[in-house]
Amino acid sequence: MTVEIPKRIDQLPNPEPRYIGKRVTRREDAALLTGRVEFIDDVALPRMLHAAILRSPFAHARIRSIDTSEAEAMPGVEAVVTGADALRWQRVSGSSPDGWGGRCPAVEKVTFVGEPVAAVAATSRYLAEDALERIEVDYEPLEPVVDPFAAMEEGSPLVMEANGTNVMMHRVFTWGEVDEAFDTAAHVFTERFRWNRVGANPMETFGTVCEWDPVTLEMTVRGAIQSASFMGLGRAATFGLPTNLVNVKANAHGGSFGGKGGGRGIDIAAMLSRKAGGRPVKWIEDRVEYLTSGGSQAWDRHYEAALAVDADGRMTGFRVTLVDDLGANGEGYGSISAAKPLTAFTGPYTIPAAGYDLALVATNKLPSGPYRGMGPPPHFMVLEQLVDIAARALGVDPAELRRRNFIPPEAFPYTIPSGNEYDSGSYEEVLDAALALAGYDDLLRWRDAARADGRLVGVGVATAVEPGVFDWNAYATVGLPQTGVPEGATVSFDIRGCATVRVGFAMEGQGQYTLVSQVVADYFALDIDSVRVIQLDTLAAPPSFGPGGSRLGVAITGAVLGACERLAEKMRTVVAGLMQTTPETIELRGGRFGIPGVPEAQMSLAQVAGTMLARSDLLPPGMDPLPEATYVWTAPDRTPADEMGRAKSYLTAAQAVHVVAVEIDPDTGQVEIVKYALADDCGTRLNPVVVEGQTDGGIAQGIGAALYEQYVYDDEGQPLTASFMDYLIPTIAEVPRSDKAAVVTPSPFTALGAKGCGEGAIHTTPAAVMCAINDALAPLGVRARETPATPERLWRLISGAGVGASGSTGEEREQS
Amino acid sequence: MKPAPLDHAAPTTVGEAVALLNDPEREAVALAGGQSLMPMLNLRLARPDLLVDLTRVEGLDHIRESAGWIEMGAMATKRAVERSSLVRERQPMWHEATLQIGHPQIRNRGTVGGSMAQADPAAEYPAAAVALGAEVRAVGPSGERTIPATEFFLGYLTTALAPGEILTEVRVPVIPPGRGWAFREVCRRHGDFAMAGTAVTVDLDASGRCTATRIALFGVGPVPARAVEAEKIVDGEAPGEEIFERAGRAAAGAIDEPLADVHASADYRRHLAAVLTGRALAQAATRAGRPEGS
Amino acid sequence: MIGDRRIRVSVNGTAYEVGVEPRTTLVDFLRADLGLTGTHVGCEHGVCGACTVLVDGLAVRSCLMLAVQADGSEITTVEGLEGPEGELHPIQEAFLEEHGLQCGFCTPGFLMATYEMLTDDPKPDEDEIMEVLGGQICRCTGYQGIRRAVDCAIDKLGGTRPADVFGAGGPEGPDAPDAPDADPVGADGAGEGSAR
Ligand SMILES: Cc1cc2nc3c(=O)[nH]c(=O)nc-3n(C[C@H](O)[C@H](O)[C@H](O)COP(=O)(O)OP(=O)(O)OC[C@H]3O[C@@H](n4cnc5c(N)ncnc54)[C@H](O)[C@@H]3O)c2cc1C
Ligand code: FES
Ligand code: FES
Repeated sequence: MTVEIPKRIDQLPNPEPRYIGKRVTRREDAALLTGRVEFIDDVALPRMLHAAILRSPFAHARIRSIDTSEAEAMPGVEAVVTGADALRWQRVSGSSPDGWGGRCPAVEKVTFVGEPVAAVAATSRYLAEDALERIEVDYEPLEPVVDPFAAMEEGSPLVMEANGTNVMMHRVFTWGEVDEAFDTAAHVFTERFRWNRVGANPMETFGTVCEWDPVTLEMTVRGAIQSASFMGLGRAATFGLPTNLVNVKANAHGGSFGGKGGGRGIDIAAMLSRKAGGRPVKWIEDRVEYLTSGGSQAWDRHYEAALAVDADGRMTGFRVTLVDDLGANGEGYGSISAAKPLTAFTGPYTIPAAGYDLALVATNKLPSGPYRGMGPPPHFMVLEQLVDIAARALGVDPAELRRRNFIPPEAFPYTIPSGNEYDSGSYEEVLDAALALAGYDDLLRWRDAARADGRLVGVGVATAVEPGVFDWNAYATVGLPQTGVPEGATVSFDIRGCATVRVGFAMEGQGQYTLVSQVVADYFALDIDSVRVIQLDTLAAPPSFGPGGSRLGVAITGAVLGACERLAEKMRTVVAGLMQTTPETIELRGGRFGIPGVPEAQMSLAQVAGTMLARSDLLPPGMDPLPEATYVWTAPDRTPADEMGRAKSYLTAAQAVHVVAVEIDPDTGQVEIVKYALADDCGTRLNPVVVEGQTDGGIAQGIGAALYEQYVYDDEGQPLTASFMDYLIPTIAEVPRSDKAAVVTPSPFTALGAKGCGEGAIHTTPAAVMCAINDALAPLGVRARETPATPERLWRLISGAGVGASGSTGEEREQS
Repeated sequence: MKPAPLDHAAPTTVGEAVALLNDPEREAVALAGGQSLMPMLNLRLARPDLLVDLTRVEGLDHIRESAGWIEMGAMATKRAVERSSLVRERQPMWHEATLQIGHPQIRNRGTVGGSMAQADPAAEYPAAAVALGAEVRAVGPSGERTIPATEFFLGYLTTALAPGEILTEVRVPVIPPGRGWAFREVCRRHGDFAMAGTAVTVDLDASGRCTATRIALFGVGPVPARAVEAEKIVDGEAPGEEIFERAGRAAAGAIDEPLADVHASADYRRHLAAVLTGRALAQAATRAGRPEGS
Repeated sequence: MIGDRRIRVSVNGTAYEVGVEPRTTLVDFLRADLGLTGTHVGCEHGVCGACTVLVDGLAVRSCLMLAVQADGSEITTVEGLEGPEGELHPIQEAFLEEHGLQCGFCTPGFLMATYEMLTDDPKPDEDEIMEVLGGQICRCTGYQGIRRAVDCAIDKLGGTRPADVFGAGGPEGPDAPDAPDADPVGADGAGEGSAR
């Protein structure tokens, strides 16, 4: 049976939808606001133990020996694990490029500060930490390599000796006639950029409670887990277990943004549990662990990029050379974030040819992992700076230059040179909306007047495309399996016509339980309060990946609508049987089944469901009596990658334009954001208030990346940003109010026309802030090329003081 | 991140507290608001045997004026200081400094004595104390003594307090009518420890020239220090941008070993100190001579 | 090992007398010993504010206090905000209506900080709101929903003290009756007195 999923709200079998597209308050919130929601650290199981992890103080060292005997003898200590146990039970992590990756705890060698070396389970966390102090580790320090360029040189210390190199991967992609584009271009603009490591830092760190029974080998994993099924598959692979022995129960969690990490922690807690006879072991990562050795760090990038522009200001080629410092061993899927820009390489522009030279390099730093947006935010920072450089050189207004190069609305679906297809868009309309909201002309006048007074003020306009609804095809380029990503839902009615929806993902903050309720309520014309959403463990739930890659809103809407369609079909069959007609004559409308135009031939949901559950003898012969249906949604029409990485992967392409005005204090280098306005288009807004919340959160993270946040290492590979005193997350005082406008161009490919929208702002904000800063600096003839644009970096540029001696402030590489 | 085993005592008199701190058997440390010490305990960077909690010690939380001094008990919280109209009116620089310390949730527990004893080079109170000519009272096994703020801060996180001595009071002279003052700092985010800061007072003599100028920098060197050379540059001169900028540069230049960390290099801190001092002198001079000092 | 200390605390109006190891932080005591897991832990070094609770009416970091130090105190946690029949407090309602939370992990801390702020001053200005909420970190909302929620809470309360919403008996700020400027010491001149 094929299922037609409604592509527009007016295709729902309900003439008066009350919830979809409306500003619905979230059903998750009352429990969250009163402290009722169970986060992982709130879990207390009988006989539960608490783990603490001993971590390497060296960036690179051989482990000569570990003595755990004293710790084991301490009262309250129930289990200790080391690399010896990992060697016994684990395979090498599957999240790294081939030949890379390690075991946890470390075996033989540590390759970054904070790498687990041993772990203890005791009756309290306090005792477990006491026990760590009694473990003796004898290290032989080795020379670390911290800089990726040094790591690429002949004779560099090797992070993994067996590989004979620190270069995990080097690929050159060419799409279209790039060389020709650059050879024939009227103008070529080239610049280097440095994006320093930043990361997710959800307010809740990772945590888990694991039980691994030494007899049955069944493993139960609870935790603050973004993708329960994926984590389960990963653990089964790590321990060589049949996948159905691992059951994952994800707790609601306090944010993730891709950077929750957790695999290593689970592996340790599981092994401790096995050694403690299967007792539950809780491990809660503390903030210092998160910052130095968790899923915290992403995007440590050195760029050289060039834009070819013709005499009319049309961009004809875009070239990027990226050295991506992945840290040790390439674990944590940091590698795929370098590949994700393929899905939107040329942004919203009609650039016909592009090239990408990509080197993934290992160093003795924390393996870098995913972060909201995965890879494009730095990429768009680079592209948008080049566009501004071009605009300035050509004397064209930066907004105008962008407009000239936009993909026009009639060109969609539009395939970009790197292979992905954009579904729809109205880029000019979005630009106009943003400029109008910002009062662009007035802003420019304000800027020019202030500039005439000698002030450093600037206006930035930046735009980006947000690839939505991720798909593994995008990552075939870095060696990951090419497979789609399923999301399922089961919708059922009880005898009173109340709906229950079973899903496989935990609450994380994006309001998807509310979304599911909105969709089911509107499909069947129910009151939202008669829909309940429950989450099942991985072994019971319909197939699910959960949130990630701006997919869940679209995917779960598809899954739920698919299940609703199936369920409605089933119920129509029942009603048809009861009314002695064919299912095609039965219509579901406004929550009632019946023959159109025949008022007496109508049944309520409760009547139909009640009949199915209580009188299966009345149903058509052989019919399944359950008023329940499951649908598993995958993105339609995706293609595997070709030799140049070209794939139709991400299903949707949202777009935004952000306008920012800044003032820089010339004496201190401090930046004040004086205006922030944006317009975006992410298709149908299923719950506008939630969409705006995603944008607001992304802006704050983008401001963090552009101005405040950076993981710093010293020359020995010691992390210098191990607390929130040093890794600076913007507070309310640093995040300005923003004005927002919406343009709606529905996706032709998705349920109800919605697009992925969870990552848009972080794609655009860092670019926009940097554009504004560089506009402010333009009269001085200097350019900020490194994020975050800290006061010191800007002061150095402004004062011409040159590059500081202190490595801590990060140096820009000289332009060749 | 859990503290190592420790014991806790909550004496009610200064005498008891001093006795506990001088227990020869155990390493004892005073606990005030805990806003610096508790993170150290959680990280196991501090691991005393005994915490001598001063919260219940009587007579340590006053805020009052006496003979031209604002006297603040060591255990007066920053929040209490912030809300004291006495401090705001009679010692506005101290009030201003208070507002720059962290956020209300930190100031609700952090104490005046704790900030002085902690002697963080980027902290506000030590610098204000040095600039204002404050005094610190301490009680130890051999009795009470008074230490001028200028002699109290010996080095990075190091004070003149002897082991086993308790800081009991900080006294700050009121700002006399007509004295100009300014307190300025630059942080990465509002509420953070300063990358650089300056506390300045300026008087104007009958001819409108600067006199009795005091400048103390913080966040730049290992201890808040008076910039005596810079003060000399200003004194005797009429207020003016050029002279203040010169003084700012001199003040910053006199710092021997500027701090450097992930937020700011030594050069940058020195530069900020110069800029801020120049700006602060100008602000203080504008305020000088006005009855309110505002 | 150092033996347990007996402490008495009142938490959300319930009196407890329990033994606790001296090194136990207040937040661990509330969460693990009393099972009040609504207060969260985000950093354990005082910066994030997820653990903010009221101790004798003051919003403080419960990760930077030992449980033994709370002996004799009145503590209010997020579990103490709702009404006797489970009604949301107007501050909670405001956060719900204005999308002031996403994952909700930081939220209890924001609620407690807001509660203290509105106890001090029922009509805080923008600067005051920045000053107080600047001490709390949220990674999800970008603070826009939180700004709206606080404005909305101010309106909803309409000058009613947060403690008086469900009748008297809610947690009180010690200096709540005074205007924010009032000074218990300075009020009677330069006399002796205690500020606390
Ligand atoms: C998030 C955050 C932000 C902060 N921001 C700032 C800031 O911007 N500026 C700033 O200045 N501070 C800041 N602080 C630190 C805060 O001001 C501390 O309160 C202060 O440094 C120490 O005061 P305390 O009462 O908490 O002392 P504690 O932490 O209890 O003690 C600190 C040290 O002083 C000793 N000590 C305390 N009292 C006495 C006494 N009476 N006699 C002898 N020794 C004593 C203790 O033994 C300990 O060694 C911040 C803290 C946090 C957590
Ligand atoms: S957990 Fe206490 S402030 Fe972060
Ligand atoms: S709502 Fe997630 S951290 Fe604030």
